[in-house]
Amino acid sequence: MHSTNTSTKAYLSDTGTPLCVESVAMTFSHSSNQRTLDPRTKLFLLLAANLMLFFHVSVITQLIMVVLFLLPLAVAGRWKLTVNFALTYAVLTGLGFLDPDALGSPWLHVVSALAVGCTMMLPCFITGAYAFTTTSPSAFICAMRRMHAPESVVIPCVVVIRFFPTIAEDYRQIRNAMALRGIAAGGWGLLRHPAQSLEYILIPLLMNATNVAQDLSVAALTKGLGREGAHTSRTEIRMRIVDWIMMIVALIPLALDIAGVIH
Amino acid sequence: MTSEVYSNNVSFTYEQADELSLINTMLSIPSGQCVVLCGASGCGKTTYSRIVNGLIPQFFHGEFSGEQHTCGIDTAAEPIDKLTPLVGSVFQNPKTQYFNAKVIDELAFPAENMGLSPEEINHRIAEIAQRFNIEPLLQRSIFHLSGGQKQRIALAAASMLSPRLLVLDEPTSNLDTVAITEMRELVAQLKASGITIVIAEHRLAWLNGIADRYIIFDSGHIAHEYEADEFLALSPGCIAAMGMRALDLQPYRQRIKALESLTDVKKTSASDINDSGSASTQHDDATATHLGSSPLLSTHDLVIGYRGRDGFSRSIPDIDLYPGQIIGLMGHNGCGKTTLVRTLTGLIKPASGTVLLNGKPTKPRALTRAGFLVMQDVNYQLFSDSVREELLLGLDESDPAIIKRCDQVLEDLDLTRFADRHPMSLSGGQKQRVAIGSALMCGKDLIILDEPTSGLDRYHMEQVGELLRQLAEQGKTVLVVTHDEELAAGWCTTIINLEHNGSTSKPNS
Amino acid sequence: MTASNSPADNTIQTSNQNSGKPTESGKLEVADLITIGVFAALYFVMVCVATLVSTLFTGGFGSIFLPAIAALISGCVYMLLAARLGKFGGITVMGVVIGLFLFISGHFVLSFIASIVFPVAADLIARAGRYKNKALLLVSYVVFSYGLTGPILPLWFMKDAYIASLQARGKDAAYIDGVFANINTGTFFISMAAILVCAIIGGWFGQKMMKKHFIKAGIV
Repeated sequence: MHSTNTSTKAYLSDTGTPLCVESVAMTFSHSSNQRTLDPRTKLFLLLAANLMLFFHVSVITQLIMVVLFLLPLAVAGRWKLTVNFALTYAVLTGLGFLDPDALGSPWLHVVSALAVGCTMMLPCFITGAYAFTTTSPSAFICAMRRMHAPESVVIPCVVVIRFFPTIAEDYRQIRNAMALRGIAAGGWGLLRHPAQSLEYILIPLLMNATNVAQDLSVAALTKGLGREGAHTSRTEIRMRIVDWIMMIVALIPLALDIAGVIH
Repeated sequence: MTSEVYSNNVSFTYEQADELSLINTMLSIPSGQCVVLCGASGCGKTTYSRIVNGLIPQFFHGEFSGEQHTCGIDTAAEPIDKLTPLVGSVFQNPKTQYFNAKVIDELAFPAENMGLSPEEINHRIAEIAQRFNIEPLLQRSIFHLSGGQKQRIALAAASMLSPRLLVLDEPTSNLDTVAITEMRELVAQLKASGITIVIAEHRLAWLNGIADRYIIFDSGHIAHEYEADEFLALSPGCIAAMGMRALDLQPYRQRIKALESLTDVKKTSASDINDSGSASTQHDDATATHLGSSPLLSTHDLVIGYRGRDGFSRSIPDIDLYPGQIIGLMGHNGCGKTTLVRTLTGLIKPASGTVLLNGKPTKPRALTRAGFLVMQDVNYQLFSDSVREELLLGLDESDPAIIKRCDQVLEDLDLTRFADRHPMSLSGGQKQRVAIGSALMCGKDLIILDEPTSGLDRYHMEQVGELLRQLAEQGKTVLVVTHDEELAAGWCTTIINLEHNGSTSKPNS
Repeated sequence: MTASNSPADNTIQTSNQNSGKPTESGKLEVADLITIGVFAALYFVMVCVATLVSTLFTGGFGSIFLPAIAALISGCVYMLLAARLGKFGGITVMGVVIGLFLFISGHFVLSFIASIVFPVAADLIARAGRYKNKALLLVSYVVFSYGLTGPILPLWFMKDAYIASLQARGKDAAYIDGVFANINTGTFFISMAAILVCAIIGGWFGQKMMKKHFIKAGIV
């Protein structure tokens, strides 16, 4: 099961989908990087990436924006991610410009169309990866509180971040226990009886989850999580000059494109 | 003298429970005292600790009566947040009581909730980190710390707001000897700084010399109150009769030493095992059973380990495990006990060397089929909706021979009464027995238990011990990973201490 | 499924174990929020698994069946949350948190809107059955499952942008029409119908598990 885990991880990072639970939780919990933007700027970049989808921007604008989005990722020291994304973008854009008819293989149309679709989504994924891998949980929470997100959203978010690694660990334990009992052993074992496998994995997972929920509640209550009044944060987040510059710089090509200056 | 804790006629019944968990408790704890709440499981000591820190009746609901003042606050009338700056709490399970992924965030957490300024918070963190000697851990993820380190962080976080009172609920039940010694130092230091400390605990030995008073609970009542010197003068038999663990672990440690040297003797001169048989005092018959037979499992030049960020590898001295033996596997956390056990059950591959099953070199997969591991958290191992189903899982339920064997196993493990209950509705010890039952049904020959007695009182610990003996008598090979000196000394026939044998290497750190 | 054993179940469900739930105060307490967080984490993991499976089956553009597969496997999580919490807001907050995490991880912003609207509706439906009526819970689960359509909505609603992008890259109109003949309403309805079917199966499975395990074990 270790091998499937790693292959999953590799697979996800290849496609650039920042959705791998384990690695997300790891990075989320480990980064204490000073060279990153304010979480609110990151949110702004995410929104900008989304706006690019709304207003079908030209290829040039897209290119400029992708470079702009990759910049902070590189500055934060995530070289591997930056290079991966840059390469993916280059390849996809190249594929999008292919002229299959000229090459004499019409089936390439499908590849080409898919590539265009992926290219459109890529800015979202880049900004998403940036937000996910460079924000420490405390900065994230602090930003949410600053933006006046209600406590009833903030608290579950903290718990989600806290609970991810526990799920990964629980899953490993459960798979070990299943192997010892000879249930669903081997690589394809899980797929032979999918409903049963789901039951055997989910039930212990959920049983443990209810216990953990209670223990965490007890610990949090004695530490004053439910206290009325302002909660502060050790991590100080603030908008610096770089943040404002980044936001403005990201906005310019977008505005120019929408205004029709760039084609 | 002021009372930090004052209970007047406090009684409590949990929601859905039929009987009172705590009955007419009268207690007053003066400032600066260290008080130990002890007694057998279910005696009400944990319930009382929850009353003290306000979790009852604010979080655990039920029927509460009487009057409870903690640090001058009426816990039933005032919200629990009022107690936050006054009372720090540490709980039993190191894995589930931290709320943040990173150490420094966890320390900051209570201060942030109180709305302190960032400078103040950072100042306190620096101070606490120095006092608890956790500066190197501050930027680490709590998930990767050992149980002892986790409890140290928990105690540090509980002390962040400079509380007047600390409530510790069985803080050592998952810790090894070294970690317990460290915990003792911390608690002694906190007491010296004038903090009142209430500890619910049944491992008592580590508290000698720190505790001022012992309160013995028995089925919800306070049965006795002793001053420290009175209590320490009680005979071991008297302590045992109250369902508590030993006050003096020295005899147990000596016995473990003897068992260990026995193992070493066997290693050096395997030919004359007859001598070692006579050296054993209690379990001559048990050790004797394997004399004629050949080992079920043996290792040859084994090196265990795994790669990755916390990569680790070490060599293991050659081990022979015989049917009918109860082998204790001891050594402090991080010396590779769990890794060895996982290797022996084929869950991970050995780094090098071989494991022999019945004298033949064996692949990990075959080891997984032959061995069984009762995990520390047995909840992961129970999949079915009734005890009987659990035992029959994966077997042919229409075969009358199997049904008969299942009935026999249920009977042997004293589970017949619970055959139709859901495994998750049973107590910890009963769940353990269900897991063992499933191993017996699968016909496993090697049964490994990981810390089966953590958090258990004397009675339940002895019950586990008897179970081990019963398994050994059935001809199973029993390997038990444990920190519990009383269990190891009382029931193991041989002891392997990984601390003293072989070499550990940590390539990455 | 609805009528057979409700009286007995109800008595068990109304008074829960010594877990700290305030008795029928409508507001979400800290303990409730923590429970929601734990279950949201589990649900999010389910979504990740679904993303993986969906991508494996349908290739590059393959999150089309993401909501359906997620609906198929997360029934237990949803039913247990509803039973444990039994008060208004839990399902909504879980949806919002999931939406937030999807948005931050780079999903389309519309996914956030979908993951507010549908969970609120699901919460209201479940409340109508006081979080105990099995039929209503099942309906509520189906509605909730549509909350995950956010990540795949751009496939249809961003069609214009997509066409524009294709045109910008010099694809001819006939070809573009050909592409959209496939991605169009047909796939939309298949995908939506798949969610419905999968959510019903998943929800039913979840309720079966609830009865088989959690009610029997006394967890709810």
